[in-house]
Amino acid sequence: MWAELFSGLEMVLRPDTVAMTAAGLLLGIAVGSLPGFTTVMAMAVLLPISFFLDPLVGIPFLIGVYKGGIYGGSIPAILIGVPGTGASVATTYDGPALARKGKSKKALEMALYASVFGDTASSLLTILMIGPIALVAMRIGPPELAVVLAAAMAIIAVTASGPARKGILMLGLGCFVALVGQDPVHGVNRFTFDLFALQAGIDLLPLIIGLFAIPEILLAVEGKPKATPVARPEGESLTMAELRASGRTILRSTAIGAGIGAIPGVGQVVAAFMGYAAARRAARDPSTFGHGDLDGVAAPEAANNAVNGPTMVPLLTLGIPGDNVTAILLGAFVAQGLRPGPQLFATDAATIYALLFSMVIACILLLVLGRLTIPLFAKVVAIPRAYMVPLTLVFAVAGTYVYRSNPMDLVVLMGFGLFGYAARKMAFDVTPMVMGFLLIGPFEYAVSQTLSLSRGDLVGYVVAERPVTLILLALIAAGLAFIALRRRGPRTPVQT
Amino acid sequence: MPFKTFAKGLAAGLLAAVAATAALADYPEKPVTMIIPLGAGGSHDLNARVIASVLPTYLGQPVIVQLMPGSAGQIGTSAAAEAPADGYTILFTQNFIDQLQQHVAELPYDPNEAFVAVARTNFAAPSVIVRSDSEFATMDALLASAKADPGAMTFGHSGNWGAFMVPGAMMFNAAGTMPTLVPHKGGGPAMQALLAGDVDVSLAFDSVIASQGDAVRPLLTLDREAHYEGVPTAAEAGLEGLEDTSIMHRVVLVHRDTPPEALDKLRAAFVAMQEDKTYQKLLSSLGENAAFMGGAEYEPVRAAQGEAYGTLVRTLTGQ
Repeated sequence: MWAELFSGLEMVLRPDTVAMTAAGLLLGIAVGSLPGFTTVMAMAVLLPISFFLDPLVGIPFLIGVYKGGIYGGSIPAILIGVPGTGASVATTYDGPALARKGKSKKALEMALYASVFGDTASSLLTILMIGPIALVAMRIGPPELAVVLAAAMAIIAVTASGPARKGILMLGLGCFVALVGQDPVHGVNRFTFDLFALQAGIDLLPLIIGLFAIPEILLAVEGKPKATPVARPEGESLTMAELRASGRTILRSTAIGAGIGAIPGVGQVVAAFMGYAAARRAARDPSTFGHGDLDGVAAPEAANNAVNGPTMVPLLTLGIPGDNVTAILLGAFVAQGLRPGPQLFATDAATIYALLFSMVIACILLLVLGRLTIPLFAKVVAIPRAYMVPLTLVFAVAGTYVYRSNPMDLVVLMGFGLFGYAARKMAFDVTPMVMGFLLIGPFEYAVSQTLSLSRGDLVGYVVAERPVTLILLALIAAGLAFIALRRRGPRTPVQT
Repeated sequence: MPFKTFAKGLAAGLLAAVAATAALADYPEKPVTMIIPLGAGGSHDLNARVIASVLPTYLGQPVIVQLMPGSAGQIGTSAAAEAPADGYTILFTQNFIDQLQQHVAELPYDPNEAFVAVARTNFAAPSVIVRSDSEFATMDALLASAKADPGAMTFGHSGNWGAFMVPGAMMFNAAGTMPTLVPHKGGGPAMQALLAGDVDVSLAFDSVIASQGDAVRPLLTLDREAHYEGVPTAAEAGLEGLEDTSIMHRVVLVHRDTPPEALDKLRAAFVAMQEDKTYQKLLSSLGENAAFMGGAEYEPVRAAQGEAYGTLVRTLTGQ
C-alpha cells in the first residue's frame, strides 16, 4: 500500500495538475457564490472539458470546481443570508449576524479555515482508512439507513433552539411538505390537488432560499437604517486567538462530518446542521448562537466539508456514486477509460491514491485562493442597504428560477418566505423543518425497501439478518436518553 | 363593416404567411434547446454532453442542454410538449420514460401525439447478474428457483418503472414467474445491494459489470447478440420478444407539429454526426455503442414498446 501511496503522490505533483485545480477552484468559487447555480450544475457544464484533458488534470480540475463551489456557497450565506447551496444553510444562522456586526471578514475567514481543515483532515483520513470506510458503507443497507435517518430527525428536533415540542411540530411540517408530489416508490400523487406543477414536489432550493433569505430581507426592510458609516465596514481579520478558540468546534464538526460521510445517502446538509447543533450544545453560553458567534460559522462549515473525503470511498472502491457530485466524477473517470471499482483498485491503486491526494492539494490551494479573494467579497457589505436589500431579493428570486426554470418554484419561494418570516417572529426554529423535509423521503424509501426485503416479517428479518440495525437502534436509544437527561439536568432546581 | 373584416382577414393571413416563411426560412436561426428529463451526472446526462458538444457542427447552431428532472421524467417531457412546435426545443429521453409513463401516470400530454422521433442515438442492453458466490450458476438454475418459490427470490432494480425494473420484470414474466421486486434509487445503489447480499439478482450494463471484476457473474444478456462467452441471449434462453422493449434506447424527440423542413434538417444533422471522429471517440470512452437508428425507422419500434409496456403494467398491477 505504501509504495502505491507514494507513487500516487508523485503522479499529481505536477504543474499542470496544480494549475488546472486552481482554475477549477476559482470557477467553483464564482459559481458557488451565485445562489441557484449549484456546484453540480457547474460540474455538469464543465465536464466535457475534462474529456479532452489528461485524467490526472481533468479530474483534479473537476474536484477543484466541486470544492470551490462548496466554499463559494458560504459567501452569500454569510454576507447576505442567501444560502448558495443546501450545505451552507446552517451558515446563515450566524454568518449574516456577524456581517451586521461589522465582522464579515472574520466570518469569511473562519468559514475558509474551517472548510479547509474539515476537508483536508477527512481526505487524509480517507486515504489512510479507505478499507474500513468501504466496509462500513457496505454494511449500511436500507434497514440501517432507515434507523440512521430516523435518529437524525429525532436529534435535530430535540436539539433545535426553543422547546422540544416546537421542534417536533416543525419537523412534522417539514415531513408533510416533502410528501407533496409523486411518491418516490410507487409514483402515486399525494397532496397535488391535480395540479401538474405540484407533481414533481417541492424542491429543496426554493424552500431554503424562501425560509432563510426572504425573512432576512423582510427584517432588513423593517429595521431602522443606521446612518453611521464606518471606515472599514468589512472589519478586521480573524486573530490567531479567535481561531484557536474555535479549534475544539472545528475538530468536533470534522469528526461528525466524516462520520456522516461514511454513511451513504445522508450528506452535507445534514452534517452541517448536526455540526451546528453539537457546537451549540457544547458551548458555555449557547445564547450567543444565532446572534453572531464565530463558532456558529466554524461548526457547519467544518462539518459539511468533512463529508467530502468518505463520500468518495464507495465511488473509488465499488464504482458506486453516492450522490450527484460523485456521479459526475464517475462520468469523468469513465470518459478517461478509468472504471472505478474493485478492478481498478487491484490494477491501478496508485491512480486512486493520486486522485485522493489531488483532493488534498485542492484544499491547500483553496486556502491560498480563498485568502486572496476574501478582501474582494468582504467589500460587499460596504454597499449601502438601500441597494443591498433589493439586490438580495433579486439574487434570491433569480437564483430560484435559474435552478430548474420552473415558475412554480417562485410561488414556493414566496410562500415559504412569508412562512419563514412568521416563524421567525414567533420564535420557531425552522431547522427541524428543513431536516424533516430532507430526510423523510429517503426514510420512506428505505422503509419501503426494508418491507419488500422482509417479505412481511419485519421483526424476524431484522433480528435474523440485520444485526447492525439492532446495534444501531440500541446506540441511538442510549444517545437520545443521554440528550434527554442532559436537557433536564440544568432545569432541575439545585437542592441545598 | 365588410372592409374592416376583409382588412382583418388580410392582415391575419399575411401574418400567418410571414410567420410560416420565417419558420421555414433558414432553420435553425438560433440555438436549439435540448431538454433532458433527468438529473445531472447520470449516464443520460453524459450522453447529452457529448451530443451537445458535437451536434452544433452539423446543425450550425449551439445546442443548450437543459436538465429538467422530476416525476419520473414527466416534468421535462411535459415542458417539451408545451414548447412551441418550431424545432427549437428537442427532448433527449429514453424509451421507458417515453413509452411507459403513459400507462402508470396521468400525463398532461400524449407521448405519441406530442412527439415524433428525430433519432435513436444508441442503446444500452443490460445483463442479468448475480454475485460470484451465488448459488445460481446459470440462468436456468435461477429461473428454476424463481419458479419454485417466486416470493423468496429478491430482484433489486434501479427504481419502479425504470431501465432495470421493466426489462427484469418482462424477462421474469416471459419465463412465467415474478420474484419480489425491490426498488433502489438508481443503478449504483442497486449494485451495492447486490454486492452486500441484500438482494439475489439484479441487472447492469456491461461497463459497470466490467468494473466489478470477479465480484459479479452475468447469467443472461437482454440483447440480440451475446456479450459474454457462454452467457446466452434472451432468445437463446427461450425468452422471446424482448429485443426491442427490454433494452434502453436513447432517443431524441421533437414536437410532432414541427415544420417538416425543420424535422428533416434535425434528422439529417444527427445522421451526419455519426461520422464525426470526436463523437465516436467520446461515446466509446463512455462505454456506449453508436448503434444509430433514424427517426422514421424508430417510430414503429416506439409503437411496439408502447403496447408491450401497457401489457406489462396491466400484468403487474393486476388490472
